[in-house]
Amino acid sequence: MWLLPVFGLIIGVIIGSTITFQIPLIYVKYMSVAVLASLDSVFGGIRSVLEDHFDGAVLLTGFFTNALLAALLAYLGDRLGVDLYYAAVFAFGVRIFQNLAAIRHKLILQYRNRKLRSLR
Amino acid sequence: MAKTHWAIPITFVFILMGVLFSLQFQAQNQISSELSMQRTENLIAMVRDLSEKRQKLAVEIVDLNGKLRAQTQSDQSERELYENLVQELVKIQTVTGDIALQGSGLEILIDRQMPVLYVDIIHIINELWAAGAEAIAINDMRITQNISVFYTETNQRMFITVDNKSLEYPIIIKAIGDNNNLEKGLTIPGGIMDNLALYRAYPILTKADDLTIPAKSRKSMFFFLNEYKPEEKPAATEKPAQQT
Repeated sequence: MWLLPVFGLIIGVIIGSTITFQIPLIYVKYMSVAVLASLDSVFGGIRSVLEDHFDGAVLLTGFFTNALLAALLAYLGDRLGVDLYYAAVFAFGVRIFQNLAAIRHKLILQYRNRKLRSLR
Repeated sequence: MAKTHWAIPITFVFILMGVLFSLQFQAQNQISSELSMQRTENLIAMVRDLSEKRQKLAVEIVDLNGKLRAQTQSDQSERELYENLVQELVKIQTVTGDIALQGSGLEILIDRQMPVLYVDIIHIINELWAAGAEAIAINDMRITQNISVFYTETNQRMFITVDNKSLEYPIIIKAIGDNNNLEKGLTIPGGIMDNLALYRAYPILTKADDLTIPAKSRKSMFFFLNEYKPEEKPAATEKPAQQT
């Protein structure tokens, strides 16, 4: 079942590389925070799938709002002279690693359960 | 069914993430090649590197300019040498009769009725050389150092020959030089014109401003000539004078 999202990722990369649109260089910094936020949302989504409490609406809203808010915060931080960019990077970085750890734990548990089931 | 429930939103999010990733990747690539987005340390290093290169190139420019100047000078001296050689060649060709010449001078016309011998022609030519003629031609035959003036006889009549070719009348002698001097050289009292007048021969002298004397038809060939180079004597070693 995971083949569909992987296939989607590949299609997304192909679409992105064929698009001639170029992000203006001054917005690249905010874009990077937005990418980080979306990555966090994606890992969160995967984690919720594995923990059986997935909600599509939460994932989609989280994906867009997190990305937009992170970029907006980084931009505001630049305007106000406070480096909120680093705060966003730190917060999302920590969350990504937490999500990854949870995914790993969940996958290991699933693997062990399956093994136990096969042994019985 | 529960599984397909999450697959579609996740796939959608993955597609968007793929697009975002590749756009961000492209933008970062562009940043690494954009000068204004470089780090200060990198820019300083680049400036230092480029100014070093610039200095090296400036030194090279000076060096190449020096070489260019040297080349131009040698080229100029070669050109001067060439021009001198050409002038020399023209002088030599003037003397040997290898080129046609043009200039003011004197034209002497001797008609059939005038009793003139080959020696008279030789006298006239000698007189013209003496009066400063620079080039002489008889009936458009150039007179140079190895041209003979003589005569030949047939049963009917006698011909004056120049370089073994018989002269046809009227004989026209052209001489390039100062035409006043040339005329005076011939008409000097007791000169060649007076001598010829004794035999009732009156050659017609005409001063001309634009005479043309052709080049010699036969080229000079030298088979036995070699340049003579005297042997250099070794310098005598001076012995120190013995003191007595």
